[in-house]
Amino acid sequence: MMNFETHVPHWEWYYIAMYFYIGGVSAGAYSVAALAELFGGQKQREVARIGFTIAFWVVLATPVLLIADLGRPERFWHLFIYSKDGVPYINWQSPLSVGSWALLVFGGFSLVSYLDVLVSEGRLKSEPLAKILKLIPRKVYAIVGAAVGFFVAGYTGVILNITARPLWAASDPILGSLFIASGASTGAAAIALVMVRRHIASGAAFERLQYFDRVAMIFELGLIVLMIIVAGRYAAPLLFTGYGFLFWVGTVLLGILAPLQLHRSGRIPGVTVADPVMVSAVLVLAGGALLRICLVQAGQ
Amino acid sequence: MAKGMFVDTSICTGCKACQVACKEWNELPGEPAHFKKKSGVAYPVAVNFTGNSYDNTGALSATDWRHVRFIEQFNESRTEERWFFASDSCKHCTDAGCMNACPTKAIVRTDMGNVVIQDDVCIGCKYCIPSCPYGVISLSEKTGTVHKCTLCNDRIHNGLGTACAKACPTGSISFGEVSELKAKANARLDQLKKLGFTKANIYGYDEAGGLNVFYLFLDSPTVYGQPEKVVVPQKRLPLSSVATIVTAVAIGLAALISFRERGMKKEVEKKANAKSK
Repeated sequence: MMNFETHVPHWEWYYIAMYFYIGGVSAGAYSVAALAELFGGQKQREVARIGFTIAFWVVLATPVLLIADLGRPERFWHLFIYSKDGVPYINWQSPLSVGSWALLVFGGFSLVSYLDVLVSEGRLKSEPLAKILKLIPRKVYAIVGAAVGFFVAGYTGVILNITARPLWAASDPILGSLFIASGASTGAAAIALVMVRRHIASGAAFERLQYFDRVAMIFELGLIVLMIIVAGRYAAPLLFTGYGFLFWVGTVLLGILAPLQLHRSGRIPGVTVADPVMVSAVLVLAGGALLRICLVQAGQ
Repeated sequence: MAKGMFVDTSICTGCKACQVACKEWNELPGEPAHFKKKSGVAYPVAVNFTGNSYDNTGALSATDWRHVRFIEQFNESRTEERWFFASDSCKHCTDAGCMNACPTKAIVRTDMGNVVIQDDVCIGCKYCIPSCPYGVISLSEKTGTVHKCTLCNDRIHNGLGTACAKACPTGSISFGEVSELKAKANARLDQLKKLGFTKANIYGYDEAGGLNVFYLFLDSPTVYGQPEKVVVPQKRLPLSSVATIVTAVAIGLAALISFRERGMKKEVEKKANAKSK
């Protein structure tokens, strides 16, 4: 039997749920970019460059949200160094501890990738930097970087699963997977959105990106079904309360089903959609935000 | 040698001396009131209080490290009734969910087996709060850090027992060596069973690796607001991690199918052909 006497952390949705979201977008964009570069090579360079750029600028905002939610924000560095002896500290049993380190490492990866983009595009001219960047083979870097990206996208789901709160504990072990699928899908949508804005949303490279986004969305949909089955009656606060409306209409209908329909036929019956590519990317991004908000808040 | 407490709820009278002694010794202030408008009431109401005369706070919190639960039950015809009392606190689990979850080593175990929060290390990330299967830890709005029962860490390291056990007038709460307390608990359980309390049981021998603060209940633990089966959250971490990694690999494969060069496939086939020849 599940316990109902546990306390809630009172994480603010505009800090923690939003961090789970933008962390997922950044990490998702990074992993998609790294994998596109790894498997697609030169033809996917544009997608990869945009992905790395998004990842870098979005990850910059993440520490702000995380530190703002702390009871003692000025002590955030205790996450990395045990304040009593000054020695670096990691708690392997705590996804929050491991995740903090992973986010730090991911920040490093996204910075290097962004510098690489700047140098290769000629926007940053520095011979020594170009030499240093050439030291690591791009493919090796892409494999490790994609793995770190997926870790950052997924550990936030594991954080929720590894608690004693009824909804979060009952949905174990699905949330890590769900957040990775959502991170990949929203990351790809963010890249697509930038490509639309730059008027380069066409051609084989873009079609492949859209194809990947569809696969990720179908994964996400399957994982949502699986989560509801696994959680059983403990999923009630997510499905039937006010969050139920946001979840069903926002995340599932508008965030996944509508974009899939737009991808398939470019229109939704009964609705005029001026720019289906852009609209579906925006819907995916909004749906990903609502997924995190619903799951974090309904569990509290 | 682990120190702990044995709470024999069968002789608790609900006097709350333990709650008062805890507040006094640990200098805990009153629970801060949170006022909100309630429909049908003209003035704001402190919504975090129950308003019931016996139990106004309802749960453990950052300022209430002890909580006496009042359980009053009647049968349908109201010809029979029972009234239970149970003084609750942190159980100082051997496998402590809060300590496992803490990312800063703010939550530590002392040489006497009690689990203590170092207030100067805690950053207020609040992850320990949902990680405790018993709902013991809470954030203090005043300090921005989490607080809970320390098993009177200062007292027990100076040869004294806990303040609550000292104040208990019926001996319902006893402090001491866990092994000795267990012997005492077993003897009391035998005695009660012989007297006809067939449902009597000890709670805390196996839960969360063994609780250093354990209980004798006269009915199932759920009647007393304690979970029947406790899973320390971190026990589920290996499976959760593996499931997440599998998904990451699957999405990686999806990316391979989406982004791979068509020419590459031919190359692979060529290589395979060359090998077979």
